[in-house]
Amino acid sequence: MVVRQYQEEIKYLEKITQTCWKIKKGFQPNMKVEGVFYVNNSLERLMFDELKNACRPGAVGGFLPGMKQIANVAALPGIVWRSVGLPDVHSGYGFAIGNMAAFDMNDQKSIVSPGGVGFDINCGVRLLRTNLFEEDVLPVKEQLAQSMFDHIPVGVGYIWAEDKEHCEEYGRMLNADSSKVSMRAKKRGLPQLGTLGAGNHYAEIQVVDEIYDKWAACKMGIEEKGQICVMIHSGSRGFGHQVATDALVQMEKAMKRDNIETNDRQLACAHIKSQEGQDYLKSMAAAANFAWVNRSSMTFLSRQAFAKQFQQSPDDLDMHVIYDVSHNIAKIEEHMVEGKQKTLLVHRKGSTRAFPPHHPLIPVDYQLTGQPVLIGGTMGTCSYVLTGTEQAMKETFGSTCHGAGRALSRAKSRRNLDYTDVLEKLERQGISIRVASPKLVMEEAPESYKNVTDVVNTCHAAGISRKCIKLRPIAVIKG
Amino acid sequence: MFKRRLQALGYLEWKKVNINDPQHFRKVVLWLEDQKIRQYDIQDRKDLRNIKSEYWPKAFAKYCKDVQCPVFDNDVDQLEWLIGCAIWLEADNDIKQYSQNIKEMKLKMKQEASVPRLKSKNPLDNLDFENNKFQEGVYCVAKLLRIPRHSNHLVTLKACSKLVQRRFNSECLRNPNSKIVRGKPFPIMNCDPGFQLKKTAVENAAKILALLYIQDIRNLQTKINEVIVRVQNITANPKTDTKLGKVGK
Repeated sequence: MVVRQYQEEIKYLEKITQTCWKIKKGFQPNMKVEGVFYVNNSLERLMFDELKNACRPGAVGGFLPGMKQIANVAALPGIVWRSVGLPDVHSGYGFAIGNMAAFDMNDQKSIVSPGGVGFDINCGVRLLRTNLFEEDVLPVKEQLAQSMFDHIPVGVGYIWAEDKEHCEEYGRMLNADSSKVSMRAKKRGLPQLGTLGAGNHYAEIQVVDEIYDKWAACKMGIEEKGQICVMIHSGSRGFGHQVATDALVQMEKAMKRDNIETNDRQLACAHIKSQEGQDYLKSMAAAANFAWVNRSSMTFLSRQAFAKQFQQSPDDLDMHVIYDVSHNIAKIEEHMVEGKQKTLLVHRKGSTRAFPPHHPLIPVDYQLTGQPVLIGGTMGTCSYVLTGTEQAMKETFGSTCHGAGRALSRAKSRRNLDYTDVLEKLERQGISIRVASPKLVMEEAPESYKNVTDVVNTCHAAGISRKCIKLRPIAVIKG
Repeated sequence: MFKRRLQALGYLEWKKVNINDPQHFRKVVLWLEDQKIRQYDIQDRKDLRNIKSEYWPKAFAKYCKDVQCPVFDNDVDQLEWLIGCAIWLEADNDIKQYSQNIKEMKLKMKQEASVPRLKSKNPLDNLDFENNKFQEGVYCVAKLLRIPRHSNHLVTLKACSKLVQRRFNSECLRNPNSKIVRGKPFPIMNCDPGFQLKKTAVENAAKILALLYIQDIRNLQTKINEVIVRVQNITANPKTDTKLGKVGK
């Protein structure tokens, strides 16, 4: 990292619209393209504070500030047009979480980086609807939460045929190759299939709190305020983590061999066309498939819990999958870049695909509305459903935010907050909670995160997705 | 002898030919050279043309040699070879036309073999679809079904047939509500279609086409789902009764 005074650093930053800042070349060495990030006033303050702190003399350790990470990604070989930071951007391993970047498939130098996908490959959010209303659920809320928590998830294959239709890639990546997945990854993954996992993962029973776009909501089967939904936020567990770890080791070797230079050691990568690059894409696809099966298992579990509680079949409860998004993934997509159609490897880390109406890759049911974008809030805060827009295609390679985005590090949260306070606060809000490891709850407390409403409003204002539905939790199940 | 072949070649007096008569024989040879083989220039055919001359056999022997007839000694065999040669030359001239005909013939034979011929008992098969009365009838049915008139009555007929199949099948008639699509209409005309065309009428037409396309894909997707469900009924293990929220038997 270039050591400069804060006043020097901000000369490289320029506000280009109400919600968008540009990071000029030179902010970090070797930037091949510029960076951008989307913020509103309060998120802007957080971003600049973070940079300021990093510029203090003697500031060491931890991740680089988000802005620096966006700029380092802009220095990667083969990157196209711009490195994009979404409003929920925060520091992560190599790539910031909430950073997306696209690499030209037809450029020999282009790279694929596991840091651009994240360790929790195909972490994502799935939303189920029901035809129940808040008053149906409130009296049995505790039993329902307990029932969902108790159910030991069982095997796989208990999904509805139409579920996959409302998943990205129809719920599977065809280039997956299990022979590229290490035995260690398989051993870690197998016992965890159908489990939520700790960290920021959760299942929530939610109530429709606000409908902004009546017609789009209608297409998703959301008719009125008060309707009950179930949100599942989970990923590929140890399986994906091991796949990413294995790939990083391979890629460090490949970087030496192929003379690939990056600004940050955490940005380990390999040429897309190289053996290591191809192996990673195939094993990543396998991990992505694991994550979909995992969310499907929990879909089954939720349907079971509801069916038991209400003595009605999930079918009668209209428990359809509204949509399933992947917010840690790399995919090959076609995009228009400066007037030309290009085939790109799009890395989205903590960023959600947000394709517009009529895009051929979105489900037929959403052709008129644009792709649903599910934004999971943090424990106890709101979640949102947005829809994809043309503007996102023009500005962010069809991408938008993924959630609240961390404001305090996990360690800092543990130091500053007390878990009993966090649980009491949730109780006062009328939110039932079941937690497997309560002592880690403060890491996920709303205070540790950016305000999800700020994040979503920024995306809406920037036009890179449209607000459709707001949901508020009434019960949370956490790992 | 040779009658059919001479007929095929277009020899006018094919019926009367008697090759045992030297005059007939010589006439045929001359005709073949004049009309088909054309080995010599016209002026060089003088000796052959002189069919009454005692030197004719000599001229014939030379001719056979010149056309490289492989047969010697026997006049009749030599004539047979000459006729064959003429036929070969004739066929070679029209090779394209012949091969085309052969292809068609083979194809026709194949079709006839694979499609057993049935005498149609269905009166519709013998209808004249272009008949004025038929056209009037189609438009009459369309009016009853409230289907707009298309300038091609067969298109109108197709529309009628679709509507009848979808909405007036026995299942629909028993339970009319089952097939009527319910749900809220989507205000497609007021929504941003994602494309912009200069004329409103063209844009509206494009929107309608988009809707029809979406419906096609929806139907396809539904059929695929039905296939998956059927296959899963066979392959799923352990069996699950999702209605009961139970796993296992």
